[in-house]
Amino acid sequence: MRLLSLAFAAMISFPAWSANSINFSWSVNAGPLNPHQTNPNQMYAQAMVYEPLVRYARGGKVTPWLAEKWQISADGKQYTFFLREDVRFSNGEQFDAAAVKANFDQVLANIKKHSWLGLIKQLDRIEVVDQFVVRLHMKNAYYPTLQELTLVRPVRFMAPSAMPDEGHTGNGIKQPVGTGPWMRQESVLGQKDVFVRNPYYWGEKPAFEQVNVPVIPDPNARALAFESGTINLIYGFEGQISPDTFNRFRHDPRFSTDLSEPLSTRVLAMNTNQSPTRELAVRQAINHAVNREAIAQGIFYGTEEAAPSLFARNVPYADLDLPAYDYSLQKAAELLESAGWKVLKGDQYRQKNGQALNVELVYYGHDANQKAIAEVIQANLKQVGINIALAAEERSRFYKRQKNGEFDIIFNNTWGAPYDPHAFVSGMRTPSHADYEAQLGLKQKSDIDHWITQVLKSQDDSERQTLYSSILTTLHEQAVYLPVTYLRVPGVAKKELGPLKMGATVFDIPFESFKPE
Amino acid sequence: MLAFIVRRLMLLVPMLLGVSMVIFFVLRLSGADPAMSYLRSANIPPTDQAIAQAEKDLGLDKPLPEQYVVWLTDVVQLDFGVSYMTRRPVLDEILYYLPATLQLASLALLLTLGISIPLGMWAARQRDKWPDFTVRGLAFLGVSIPNFWLGFMLVLLFSVQLQWLPPMGYGDLEYMILPAFAIAFMSLCINARLLRTSMLEAQGQRYVLYARMRGVSERRVENAHVLRNGLIPVVTAAGMHIGELIGGSLVVESIFGWPGVGRYAISAISNNDYPIIQCFTLLMTVIFVVCNLIIDILYAWLDPRVRLGSEASA
Repeated sequence: MRLLSLAFAAMISFPAWSANSINFSWSVNAGPLNPHQTNPNQMYAQAMVYEPLVRYARGGKVTPWLAEKWQISADGKQYTFFLREDVRFSNGEQFDAAAVKANFDQVLANIKKHSWLGLIKQLDRIEVVDQFVVRLHMKNAYYPTLQELTLVRPVRFMAPSAMPDEGHTGNGIKQPVGTGPWMRQESVLGQKDVFVRNPYYWGEKPAFEQVNVPVIPDPNARALAFESGTINLIYGFEGQISPDTFNRFRHDPRFSTDLSEPLSTRVLAMNTNQSPTRELAVRQAINHAVNREAIAQGIFYGTEEAAPSLFARNVPYADLDLPAYDYSLQKAAELLESAGWKVLKGDQYRQKNGQALNVELVYYGHDANQKAIAEVIQANLKQVGINIALAAEERSRFYKRQKNGEFDIIFNNTWGAPYDPHAFVSGMRTPSHADYEAQLGLKQKSDIDHWITQVLKSQDDSERQTLYSSILTTLHEQAVYLPVTYLRVPGVAKKELGPLKMGATVFDIPFESFKPE
Repeated sequence: MLAFIVRRLMLLVPMLLGVSMVIFFVLRLSGADPAMSYLRSANIPPTDQAIAQAEKDLGLDKPLPEQYVVWLTDVVQLDFGVSYMTRRPVLDEILYYLPATLQLASLALLLTLGISIPLGMWAARQRDKWPDFTVRGLAFLGVSIPNFWLGFMLVLLFSVQLQWLPPMGYGDLEYMILPAFAIAFMSLCINARLLRTSMLEAQGQRYVLYARMRGVSERRVENAHVLRNGLIPVVTAAGMHIGELIGGSLVVESIFGWPGVGRYAISAISNNDYPIIQCFTLLMTVIFVVCNLIIDILYAWLDPRVRLGSEASA
């Protein structure tokens, strides 16, 4: 058999990638790589080619990148950035204040598309102070300006010569030319994208010459491609690799695996505006009755950790001592009893004044993890007499139900670094997310909205901490959310890539930091 | 015969009109919201303003009948619109991906016929002996195994364990063998079983008995009478298999990273990318109808009773 296998292998030869390359994969092509646009541009690839003024580091710290330093005026309305002078685009063009302004102007020319982002909404104009100094003038003070400048889009920088001659980048670009460590060499629709090193890169050159990204839509096919050596890196959020496969690879000595620090929270929102989750006791009882540890271990093999609160402690301003809703069926039962929800003789579920304790839990039907979590919650709550009806929805209908408040309980993950906590709480004020609808029944809703508005314009760090503490403590005490686990981004690499490095946000894949052993 | 072909092709026009109407309105009755899908894929919060803008961008802000008329007017001029997700012309993309699917489906058809005919003949000749039981068992397995599962098993064995063939990707024959076999397996099993049955049926016919009585050699009886007549239902089934093979490629292409129109359609379905789904459905209708027409022509050529019968009644 072995002989036959060798003979067969010798007969055919399937093209392997170059030895000095990172072979990653993604579910679709990288897109046209327009730095100012969303779909079909893929964020991992935009982040390879384009760079921000400032960068998001672990724990929410903002660090210098294309800007060496910055100053913020006392009223918080002017941000002055001092740019690095040694930066060139991948076509050799100089990166300077004029290039920064040209990019911001392109984004502002298409402001309708980007106005959901606080930074763009508050941006008034850009001023070129000198060749390497640029100033952002804001309409109002907005403290997350720096955090939102770290985003992968829409304010990263392309060479002005690659911008369209007429119109704006919203309608397309001539070619993707950025300052990042990589540039795209080839893109074959439906098959692959190939990135090579940017010869003009100002920072440390990546150790690997090339990043090949074949298109593989299916996570199981991706795992098989990894095992057979077609690719040597799997990295990224849900959809890239299943928890079962990651767990299997973790115990395989041929591979190195790692997990990022917690980058977002798997959480369910409970509707305070419709019964029976309208009652605080019911929401608190649900929080006590769900066994988060069992979910973290049983469904995620410990790759995610049980979440006692809405944000993990490494999220900026979220390092608070909030009393956890510990897993206790007894406490849950007591809360329900004292609120008048009783089990009548012979019944499995509780009722009050003839109304049964029925709660509908909505999840996205194609998400195997959500389904598994929903089933555990259903089983847990049955033990305390709460009847959970599961409702699987198609993707757009799921988000529609979030937006319109058509749920008792619904999955509603936080947005992840660098959006947490500021953009996530900012979204609580507008009727576009489950959060707004879920909180509508709270008598503190107007206070919460007021604190959020205040915190976003506050220039004083301790004041911001106080405001965030009020927001997060109120939401926690009112048990509006059912946090389940903190999500970590998994990565798996073949040993040839050297030690695995994990990025600081959900969207950055640090290809340039891989070094062969 | 020519009149028959022209009549059948003419029928395609009302059929496509009907299909276009059904697919257009059924998609919109499903309750899915492409504007929401678009915003979520782009990581844009779905505020009322953002949804209104997205609906305007995607042409979903007009009344349904108007949307249909606009779309149909464009379709008649072969403009199938722009994909919601990729923002590229749908027809260009589908025509870009279609050859890869046809390539895969052709090899799958070749495998189906190339393997099922000898298997069916073998089973029929060895009736109630072990080859027959093997083929019947295989047919049972074939209809029970989902093609995507078989695809994964083939990759595990031939790519991960033995490392004979690449697990995925687009390329020459070596890349096509596993996906084509995964797609073809069910059809070839059904075909083998069908041929066995119809050959056994033919063996009991009087013309076979008479041929033997005339002293015709056993080889000639088998080939000219039993096999040729036994093949007729197989040809009919092949028409349906072409549909099955192209349909099978929908899922299998995703597993093998094959850049075909099936994988493209699957992602369009999960993104509620209506222009792609509509164009894909119309294209598949044309392919099915044309394939069945070819089969009917072939059938008439193969079976003089059909050909002469239709000529006599004409």
